[in-house]
Amino acid sequence: MKSPSALYNSPDITEKSFSVKESESRYRTTNGKTTGPSTYVLNAGQVDIDKPSDPKIDHVTQQPTALSKLRMELTGIQDDINEFLTERMEVAKNKKLKTQNSLEEKRIENEINELLDGGDGDNDDEEEKKEAHAK
Amino acid sequence: MVNLNTVEPRNGRDYYIALGLEGSANKLGVGVIKHPRLASMSGGDNSHNCEVEILSNIRDTYVTPPGEGFLPRDTARHHRNWVIRIIKQALEKAQIMDPRLDIDVICFTRGPGMGAPLHSVAIAARTCSLMWEVPLVGVNHCVGHIEMGREITKAKNPVVLYVSGGNTQVIAYSENRYRIFGETLDVAIGNCLDRFARTLKIPNAPSPGYNIEQLAKNCKNKDKLIELPYTVKGMDLSMSGILAYIDSLAKDLFRGNKKNKLIFDRETGEPKITVEDLCYSLQENLFAMLVEITERAMAHVNASQVLIVGGVGSNTRLQEMMGQMCKDRANGRVHATDERFCIDNGVMIAQAGLLQYRMGDYVKDLSETVVTQKFRTDEVYVSWRE
Repeated sequence: MKSPSALYNSPDITEKSFSVKESESRYRTTNGKTTGPSTYVLNAGQVDIDKPSDPKIDHVTQQPTALSKLRMELTGIQDDINEFLTERMEVAKNKKLKTQNSLEEKRIENEINELLDGGDGDNDDEEEKKEAHAK
Repeated sequence: MVNLNTVEPRNGRDYYIALGLEGSANKLGVGVIKHPRLASMSGGDNSHNCEVEILSNIRDTYVTPPGEGFLPRDTARHHRNWVIRIIKQALEKAQIMDPRLDIDVICFTRGPGMGAPLHSVAIAARTCSLMWEVPLVGVNHCVGHIEMGREITKAKNPVVLYVSGGNTQVIAYSENRYRIFGETLDVAIGNCLDRFARTLKIPNAPSPGYNIEQLAKNCKNKDKLIELPYTVKGMDLSMSGILAYIDSLAKDLFRGNKKNKLIFDRETGEPKITVEDLCYSLQENLFAMLVEITERAMAHVNASQVLIVGGVGSNTRLQEMMGQMCKDRANGRVHATDERFCIDNGVMIAQAGLLQYRMGDYVKDLSETVVTQKFRTDEVYVSWRE
């Protein structure tokens, strides 16, 4: 049976592929690193009775059955994807924060410049516009 | 003319078999049902009397510690990790040897419900459908409750009171739609009871609502109700204010806030009320509101029968109060089912899905299987009724 793989595309990433690396242990378990119970419920005293079942072992070959092998490989790939997407979310969050900060900095800088230019701190332009609109 | 024999059973059989998968909230249900192909089903409105045979009805509930609700992510994980095992159990109990040959249709909940759990079960349904080459039907969860209730009780055209953790609606059938006559404006009744159970920190097993019912039964001051807001607004009702108020009473009771004269005796400082009193008064107040809007809906459509469905429908006190109201009306009768069919289950999804399938309405493309959190009862075209 062919191993599973996944492909990710987005406007800023041309292609990111995920595939099974057989030597790594994360592709040989049904218990994923990122697919466990949330920390919140564990802290609330939850006992995890909802774990995925263990891989089924073939009596003859003493190897996991084909479907169990697929489940284990998918668990590993799911971990890869989850970690990748979490990382991207963090990057996006930081970018947003930076943009917000720079907008705030720009606004303060403009206000200081206006005051230095002899303004009274009020936004006259906007008030004039409002008055004109009211007329 | 409704013809429930539009689609022939597969493999030349004279009966239909449907597998139903439910997972819109914290219950994961898998059920298998059988409908005989009867000649009487070729014409007329007989969808409430399909002579259903329940071959299996397996359910597993995601239970959280006392004081906690269920989060979408963890509920979805529960469903994901149990769904195959539960399907296997259900098939085994129903003695389905080869699903490829023995199953006519796979029915799954398409909505409404919590997104992540719905998604987990839909994936399982799609996988089984592709693997066994069996058609799929996406089912509205509320319609599932109604059709199962009609089939079990044989109520032909009742006013339906649908009360659960996510929904509170008074429904009546008209022109191929289950029309919503009245509903909650904020939280559902089951959610109101569950959240109060969290405040009381009582166990979530078997269900918080059941544990509140038991506490209410033990109330020793049944002749003295605690005054709570009564918020019926026309045909609708509101429960969030009642919840906030009773929550504050319970918190004052636990904290020993003696300034609250409603709870503590002015002179002795002893509590005048108990947790059991609070549970009893809350139930009486909420259920009275439900009875009022249901009676009004019955008067509107000139109906004499009420069918109570949904998890809260298994509450015996609600059934009793509704029964009293029906008794006062001419030929009035209340229909209700027990917890096997009231509480979310796979069989109800199989029942509504099989009716839809028998009318020739099933998924033609997998894009139609996308689940939706918002799916109102009246959005469904009920082709299997006159």
